[in-house]
Amino acid sequence: MPAMTYLQAITDGLRSEMRADERVFCMGEDIGVFGGAFKVTDGFIDEFGPDRVMDTPLAESGIVGTAVGAAVVGMRPVCEMQFSDFISCGFDQLVNVAGKMHYRQGLAVPITVRLPTGGGFSGGPFHSQNPEAWFMHSPGIKIVAPATAEDAKGLLISAIRDPNPVLFCEHKFLYRRVKGEVEEGANPTPMRARIARDGDTLVVITYGAMVHTALEATAELEGVRVLDLRSLVPLDEEAILESVRACSKVVIVDEANELCAAGAQVAALVAERGFEDLDGPVVRVATPNVPIPFSPPLEQAVLPSVDRVKEACVELLEY
Amino acid sequence: MSSSSTDATLVDVVMPQMGVSVAEGTVAEWAKEPGDWVDADETICVISTDKIDTDLPAPASGRLTEIEIVAGETVPVGTVLARIDTGGKPGEAHAAEDVGPPEPRSEAAAATKASVQPEEKASGVRPQASGNGQGAKRFSPVVMRMAAEHDIDLSAIEGTGRGGRVTKKDVVAYLDEGGEAAAPLHIESPYKPDEREPEPAPGPAGDTLSRMRRSIGQHMKRSLETAATCTTWTEADMFRIEAARERLSLTALPLVARCAIAALREHPQLNAWLEGERYTRHDAVHLGIAVSLGDEGLIVPVIHDAHELSAEGLARRIKDLARRARAGELTPDEVRGGTFTITNPGQYGSIMATPVINQPQVAILDLEAVVKRPVVIDDAIAIRPMTIFGLSWDHRALDGVLAAQFLASLRRHVESWDGT
Repeated sequence: MPAMTYLQAITDGLRSEMRADERVFCMGEDIGVFGGAFKVTDGFIDEFGPDRVMDTPLAESGIVGTAVGAAVVGMRPVCEMQFSDFISCGFDQLVNVAGKMHYRQGLAVPITVRLPTGGGFSGGPFHSQNPEAWFMHSPGIKIVAPATAEDAKGLLISAIRDPNPVLFCEHKFLYRRVKGEVEEGANPTPMRARIARDGDTLVVITYGAMVHTALEATAELEGVRVLDLRSLVPLDEEAILESVRACSKVVIVDEANELCAAGAQVAALVAERGFEDLDGPVVRVATPNVPIPFSPPLEQAVLPSVDRVKEACVELLEY
Repeated sequence: MSSSSTDATLVDVVMPQMGVSVAEGTVAEWAKEPGDWVDADETICVISTDKIDTDLPAPASGRLTEIEIVAGETVPVGTVLARIDTGGKPGEAHAAEDVGPPEPRSEAAAATKASVQPEEKASGVRPQASGNGQGAKRFSPVVMRMAAEHDIDLSAIEGTGRGGRVTKKDVVAYLDEGGEAAAPLHIESPYKPDEREPEPAPGPAGDTLSRMRRSIGQHMKRSLETAATCTTWTEADMFRIEAARERLSLTALPLVARCAIAALREHPQLNAWLEGERYTRHDAVHLGIAVSLGDEGLIVPVIHDAHELSAEGLARRIKDLARRARAGELTPDEVRGGTFTITNPGQYGSIMATPVINQPQVAILDLEAVVKRPVVIDDAIAIRPMTIFGLSWDHRALDGVLAAQFLASLRRHVESWDGT
């Protein structure tokens, strides 16, 4: 199995789906000739041509709206947002058109929207956000968020093949920092949680880049499980509740702003359906409700750090 | 701990006072041998009084130098059983092999002191933490659930969480240690049918009966040889008891016990002892409840002054005694002085038995399964939860009419149960 970076794995997944299925095509800002802001589609225009690797105007609403139309007539578009933050401009097309099309008109909208998310590299308030919870609140949209190179490829393939609109949250911080062996060929990853490290004294439930933070934070603690959600919608409730049963102590880590983040939904689920398995308060570690600062020390201060996660785990273990 | 130092470094291990009425005890077995290192409060030997075995904790940390009383000997309270040399330290050579100069010895004593200190500190902190009522009395959902599932008294578990909180880990460890039988509360009759033929053992050698088994056998045999045992049965409608126990989330036992106490107050001739030709009638009801210890045998802890307790109060005492009986924590005083006994093996569906009287008492009540049966009420057939009460009584002390009157009274209280 070849070793790839997280970014190369996304490229590999997208390329293999485009080769396998000619209905699959890409749209986005500067993804063609330039190869994308992060070079995910570097060289694609040469292999697949400008009809399948379309450079678009700086108009997210147009990108998503066009994709919805193409999907309704049978295509499988993959849209790239340069930064996930800009999806707010395509919000109406995504939430009100794509998300509700099947409910209103019985039409499937198999679009994938790639959202480069997350901070940690001093990108400032417009280039560092984790907007997944905005869409969790909106019915009809699936959301996945890989933490490893293997899942980056596998979940992208699952997203493209899914008959629903799927937001693919690829974490920018992991692009070149995470590397792993990735199977050749198309192996879709199920939209279910995975145990990143097993244990039974406490479970850290998280996703995306925070999986790595959680693994590092708990490496020296005894028996701590790390549950990588991988998919936020659908949320793997059974895996979460099984981990609560096994561990009875829960720390939930979100890189997103704390208020109503994905982890808030997990906490609510645990409180409601895992109550009798709890041996301590459900603890959350997340970014406070502030814009992500540009200043590197300030940014590091607001994002959940290895130290903060570790401290939360130690506190709860001692409870 | 009754121990006194006879020397700067030698501490006596003495036969403790196990209960106010106990004057002597038997060393059942030694957990340590001379030359072994013992930590303070570690079990050094097992003391047996009557049917109760008690672990004797070491009075101090040190090396066990000599054993004065060998296993099997019975000695008065206060007798020196062994001596512990507190001048040694763990891992150090046997005192007899290494008679060192005083200097290293005092150093060693200092080392021992230092090694004991954290323990003292810890045990000094714990009661304070668990006694202040902050957090210690509150249990997390999983701990509450596990306690309910395994019928655990959480106050028996020492918490290692913050402020002495009992954590899930503590409960799991407690269960792993077999601190509580995972089986449901199980109260069984003190009578035993003939010993089953021993299972054909794979080898020719059989096992010697345990001390408890032998002791039960002696008691039962003596009772049958002593008393003129007769058994009388009566049938009772448990409808009100069943309704009440569901409402109160109790077993039927404490409610029936309450009725039996009321019936005993009306027929105090049964609340009595017959020792030879001496017959003593008791005003207070000290109620024995037979508790099965599984394969080990059974024991009959006594609820003293049971007539002063409500059904709920009886239930709590029964639960507590049963738990501590299984944990081996009963004191000799808690198995003495019973004036009447109830046995309750009905959860397996058996409907009648002939229990053996717990000497020197004169009667024992047997509570068996409650079974729905068609019964005739006012010339109509109704389905009622019925049970059969069996009373074994001593014909030397009383006659059958009194047994029948007692059972009629018990039945009246059971069938007219109004929640008191």
